[in-house]
Amino acid sequence: MRNKTGFLMLFLLLAATVLSAQVAKPRKGTFALTNATIETITNGTQKGTLLIQNGKIAAIGSSVNIPAGTETFDCSGLTIYPGMIDGGSTVGLSEVSSVSLTNDFDEIGEITPQMEALTAVNPNGAAIPVTRVSGVTTTLVVPENGLLPGTAALINLVGYTPDQMYAGAKVMVMNYPSGGRRGFFDQRSEEDIKKEVERNQKAMNEVFDQAALFAHIDSAAQKDPSLKKAFNPEMQALAKVIRGELPLMIEVNSAEDIKAAIKWVQERKLKRIIFSGVAEGWRVADEIAKAGIPVITGPILALPTRASDPYDSRYANPGLMHKAGVKVALRTSSAENARRLPYNAGFAAAYGMGKEAALRAVTIVPAQIFGVDKEMGSLEVGKDATLFVSTGDPFETKTQIKYLFIDGYMTPIDSRHIQLYNEFLNRATGVEK
Amino acid sequence: MKMRSWIFFFLLNLGAAGLWAQPANPGYKPVTQTYALKNATVVVKPGQTLQMATVIIRDGLIHAVGTNLAIPADAKVIAADSMFVYAGFIDGLSYAGIPQSRQPAAPGQAGPPQPGQQAQRPANAANPTNEQAGIQPEIKARDVLSPQEKSLEDLRKLGFTAAHVVPQGRMLPGSGALFLLNGNTADEMLIKDNTSLFATFNGARGVYPSTVIGVMSKFRELYKQAEQAKMQEAMFAANPAGMAKPANNKSLQAFYPVLDKKQSVYFAVDDIRSIHRAMTLQQELGFPIVMAGLKQGWYVVDMIKSKNIPVLLSVDLPKAKETPKAGEKKEGEATKPDPEKEQLEARATEEMKKLESQAAVFAGKGISFGFATYNGKPAELRDNLRRMIKNGLTEDQALSALTTTPAAMLGMSQALGTVEKGKMANLMVSDKPYFAEKSNVRMVFVQGNLFEYEAPKAAPAAAPGRPAGGPPAASVGGKWDYAIDAQGDEYTGVLTITDNGGAVSGSWSSSQIPGNNPMNNPVLKDNQLTFSSQINMQGQDLTLEFDLRIQGGSFTGKVSIPQVGTFDIKGSRQGGPNGLE
Amino acid sequence: MKNSLLLLSFLLLGVWSFAQPRTGSILLKNGNVLTVTKGALQNTDVLIVNGKFTQIGKNIVAPAGTKVVDVTGKFVMPGIIDAHSHIAIDAVNEGTAPVTAEVWVGDALDPLDISIYRALAGGVTSVHTMHGSANAIGGQCETIKLRYGSYNPEDLRMEGAPRTIKFALGENPMRSHGEGRGIQPRTRMGVEQVIRKAFAEAKDYDAAWAKYHAEKASNPRALPPVYNRRLETVADILKGNIIIHCHSYRADEIYMLLNVCRDFGVKKLCFQHVNEGFKVAPELADFGAGASVFADWWAYKFEVYYSTAYNAAILTRNGVVTSINSDDAELMRHLYHEAAKSQHFGDLSDDEALALITINPAKQLGVENRIGSIEVGKEGDVAVFDQHPLSVYAIPQLTIVDGIIRFDRQNDKKDMRLEVDPAQPIPAFNMEDHEHVDRCMQGTEDLWYYLFDH
Repeated sequence: MRNKTGFLMLFLLLAATVLSAQVAKPRKGTFALTNATIETITNGTQKGTLLIQNGKIAAIGSSVNIPAGTETFDCSGLTIYPGMIDGGSTVGLSEVSSVSLTNDFDEIGEITPQMEALTAVNPNGAAIPVTRVSGVTTTLVVPENGLLPGTAALINLVGYTPDQMYAGAKVMVMNYPSGGRRGFFDQRSEEDIKKEVERNQKAMNEVFDQAALFAHIDSAAQKDPSLKKAFNPEMQALAKVIRGELPLMIEVNSAEDIKAAIKWVQERKLKRIIFSGVAEGWRVADEIAKAGIPVITGPILALPTRASDPYDSRYANPGLMHKAGVKVALRTSSAENARRLPYNAGFAAAYGMGKEAALRAVTIVPAQIFGVDKEMGSLEVGKDATLFVSTGDPFETKTQIKYLFIDGYMTPIDSRHIQLYNEFLNRATGVEK
Repeated sequence: MKMRSWIFFFLLNLGAAGLWAQPANPGYKPVTQTYALKNATVVVKPGQTLQMATVIIRDGLIHAVGTNLAIPADAKVIAADSMFVYAGFIDGLSYAGIPQSRQPAAPGQAGPPQPGQQAQRPANAANPTNEQAGIQPEIKARDVLSPQEKSLEDLRKLGFTAAHVVPQGRMLPGSGALFLLNGNTADEMLIKDNTSLFATFNGARGVYPSTVIGVMSKFRELYKQAEQAKMQEAMFAANPAGMAKPANNKSLQAFYPVLDKKQSVYFAVDDIRSIHRAMTLQQELGFPIVMAGLKQGWYVVDMIKSKNIPVLLSVDLPKAKETPKAGEKKEGEATKPDPEKEQLEARATEEMKKLESQAAVFAGKGISFGFATYNGKPAELRDNLRRMIKNGLTEDQALSALTTTPAAMLGMSQALGTVEKGKMANLMVSDKPYFAEKSNVRMVFVQGNLFEYEAPKAAPAAAPGRPAGGPPAASVGGKWDYAIDAQGDEYTGVLTITDNGGAVSGSWSSSQIPGNNPMNNPVLKDNQLTFSSQINMQGQDLTLEFDLRIQGGSFTGKVSIPQVGTFDIKGSRQGGPNGLE
Repeated sequence: MKNSLLLLSFLLLGVWSFAQPRTGSILLKNGNVLTVTKGALQNTDVLIVNGKFTQIGKNIVAPAGTKVVDVTGKFVMPGIIDAHSHIAIDAVNEGTAPVTAEVWVGDALDPLDISIYRALAGGVTSVHTMHGSANAIGGQCETIKLRYGSYNPEDLRMEGAPRTIKFALGENPMRSHGEGRGIQPRTRMGVEQVIRKAFAEAKDYDAAWAKYHAEKASNPRALPPVYNRRLETVADILKGNIIIHCHSYRADEIYMLLNVCRDFGVKKLCFQHVNEGFKVAPELADFGAGASVFADWWAYKFEVYYSTAYNAAILTRNGVVTSINSDDAELMRHLYHEAAKSQHFGDLSDDEALALITINPAKQLGVENRIGSIEVGKEGDVAVFDQHPLSVYAIPQLTIVDGIIRFDRQNDKKDMRLEVDPAQPIPAFNMEDHEHVDRCMQGTEDLWYYLFDH
């Protein structure tokens, strides 16, 4: 008996060694996913094969020619979806949120538009595999706090350097001076909040005036080399917004602030505006729709913003905005739990948005908002092969993801959470060693 | 519950004794202490009024009350033909006369930690001294009351002549006593000592017990320990042989009159939660209780009636909402109806109604109650009483709550509460019925000592259409008393302004903060005076921004402190509206 | 005019009647009944009379006058139980001492907390509302029923529910006392000794009282020990009168407390959060300790960095009585969804997943004979959903506590506050979307820079 256990142990140890010697890595290749249901998002539901070649979707359909040497996966009973895009998170920017030295999304200073979130993405953060195995393949990583905390970047959750992860879109982030409270610890008086808002609005207007002036002089200097160009990283970054080269994503949440922000961008004639947060968008949905400003809202699993609000105001918010004609994408605003994106979408769907719109809100709509809808956000020939194969509706918790492809890389369904499950479901020892 | 602004940590940790001066002593004895208030309407007690009656005061007592009384030859006759005489009011629970600096300082607390600085909490937080813990039931109001405190005068000029004063503090601040609102020493003012053991649910700052759950537990423990200690002391007194000497813990000893049911615990309660918590302790331990300062009492009115619990209602009410005048719409604001807003406003109105009706509900149930000012603002008392009367409280019920009921609660009905022969000459005289709009308190007698008050003169109407560049406004120079309203706490002091034809300079001092602080960059424009001032508190520089609007002999305005808050300030010129100093 | 009418009725009635019934009767017709303990029953009626389930079956005829609700096509499950929350209390942490066993959040119940209604709207009917985790031995907790609408805190209590107490291991007590104040515990070694010391002192204290009681009969001059509520409470733990609910994360500290409890003969023990419980699942099962976990929270602090969302599944498969809790007023609103995550992370069956938020937390709170499943004789707490509650699309429709409807989505008044600040007709905008704040540390605001730190 004893010998038997010992043998078993030895075997297990050997197996573990062999496994660790062959760590599963993302790999490129030609892959065919056959007999699948294909949720294209933009071209309805199709049946058949999806072919991945050179990192792109090479073919979709019932009669796809599968080249020799293609690795084929029978996807009978399974469904292919485009990878889900989280419209805002700090995945890769934060490792352990209570340990401040592992947090890289909040630089000192109110006006630091030159800060690049992409720089600080840790490609080896533990949360990255944890997130992607839930089908969230792509996320905007967002610097936080201050008036202009920096530039956010869209990344795919695979790669060994930030540039390998970069998914081709950046947006300038601005936190609209808020008249709201930040949480239960915020004990400022109404009067003080008002004053602070006024102060911050003044600062906001000043910095945008300066940026406009800088852009003007800078343009002139490009024609006239005799004009001296001083090193001014803040203004150089903001000039891209003034010139419309970079979208401006404005974090704004209370109804009053949203209305003020609409007025502000219209008065300044700013182009390529995105609103993020938009917790009380439902209150002013018509105004947002009329202004034609797209919205990235979330988290959806959140408490009402006022004690008197309907209990489900945050769940219903995306649906109400969508119905009013606002282009709505979703986000988690999370670092370690961006994997909750499909569940946030599920709640949005249940509380009025509907499944189809909710699915679009985590795929094609964010791709459109970030200007990368030619590359991702749906299953179309020529687009990046960023997709997953699941046992069903990805918003449902029961659903399991079987295969995952990001930017053409077949990515293993593995993460620290899964490894710990495999090790501890049946621990090597019981209570006795 | 509500976390206070850090300013209180600063202000409360500091502080000198109050600097308010009593009215100057004339320097010679009054010719007579006998008075005859002639031909007045005398409200003998709630529900009983005499017309054209005379009240004779002698030796600090009411000598006679009635019509057609012979006036003694030594009396100073006061023609009170159009006046109304009431028994002096009694404040059921008050902090009047308790210096602000009595607030116990917390150890190691100096506001929020600065960036990068570790918040160090007091190392003895688990075992603080009783003083740090706010457990000092042995402190007597008579030992801490300061007759010079302006709060006593503030209460007196409203018609109060006696107050049940308790030390201010945290969990167990001390025992209360009934005082006259006049006298040179606390002993001289004292009517009755040991009237209450005062208890609150306010936890200590940063030390045990710091929360309401800590306070609840500690109260039970102290109570049981006091029972043990009392028993042991009795055993020791009877026969000390073979026994360890009792510990003689004076905090526990302060509970003994409560254990003997000779003294009530006056519990500071306001909202419905604290009312229930006090009831929980009372039911468990069985001590006599008085609930003081109720603001949401209507929820428990039946329980209070069935258990026959004495209550003191708060005189505090939220400020009445100003209804925006018609046509005063904000520019560009569409007039589209907002049902959500209307509904929310309707709920707020309904809640306000409940608060304003609390006293009427208690009266309607036949519950006798007094009023407590400790959690209200004396300056708003008369307005608030009128609001309660508008909401169903009768004037007689209001008067009972201010006179006969507190007198009975404090066991002093034979001496206080009515205008009857033999009672203490504690009277208030007003020029119209007290609760009427625009009535003024004109005289207050405290144990036969007369205080006279001028009716406030109507503020002179501003001359309309004064040409630009015309004669300068009246000088704002002089000394001004001010009061800052810091979310329920009042900070007072003196503002000294020198006005050289519109070029102003000056300084301000505070009864809570030592030193005289110069005005920086004072600007006087029309009737608006702005200036800033720097003060240093515990090593931290704070800039205060003052913005005052001066109207005749008074001003109102704001003081803002960045990172801390903005507070209302108001003030009046010393020596009345003309400032003849 | 309207105001004066209001006033008149107010005065005539004296006051609105606030005493309200605590139990009711209701018949739910033709639902998909998920009993949790007795399987799923199709097209089944559930009758609650005077607050108790009296009949579960087909074609039940209700006593005359009973409210009947047709729930055809809907899903009826036992009211959800949250084993870890801080709602409906005014004080969370008496964080001033490493041991504060004597304090009790039941003393600070707040029946007006809007979170109660919001939880009802998530199908929750019972809540274990807890002291925080600042101290190694924190305060006593309270099991409440969500009888929203009453202004009397007594109406919230689940009368007769066993006493429970909060313990805390790891970073929070180390931070509050060691780092924050320079006293023990600053390490997990210190936490152990703080608890051992309290247990040992309580044992001595109890012995001293026993000695006094024995001596008193013969010696009337015998003196009792000085009454000490802290030791009194800890002694009650040692006697088995109070269930320990221990905030914990790391496997080593969980194992430590098992050893300490074993040494002192303490058996009633449930671990809270217990993110690394899966690493010592056999030990937990062997001891018989419960585990109340998060569905997927991790990495918000260092001691939860090496955790896994498969925790609930591993614990369940190893025979540990496991529940999923919220510790958060938002998460609490969708515990059914949190339980459903155990199907994603570990393939639990429907009944296993539902047990995580019903019968299992009931066991951990010692009330499994009263709530946690739909069985005749148990208390009539029910949540009705439009779809299977483990579907992400399920929306709670009706929440019933003791036979009384406390939430009805069709009749939701939107503004459900019980208390209104007349000075502020439109409540302030207040957003709390930071998901990393450790609510367990609420009430230690003199350490609030930690909140800004993350």
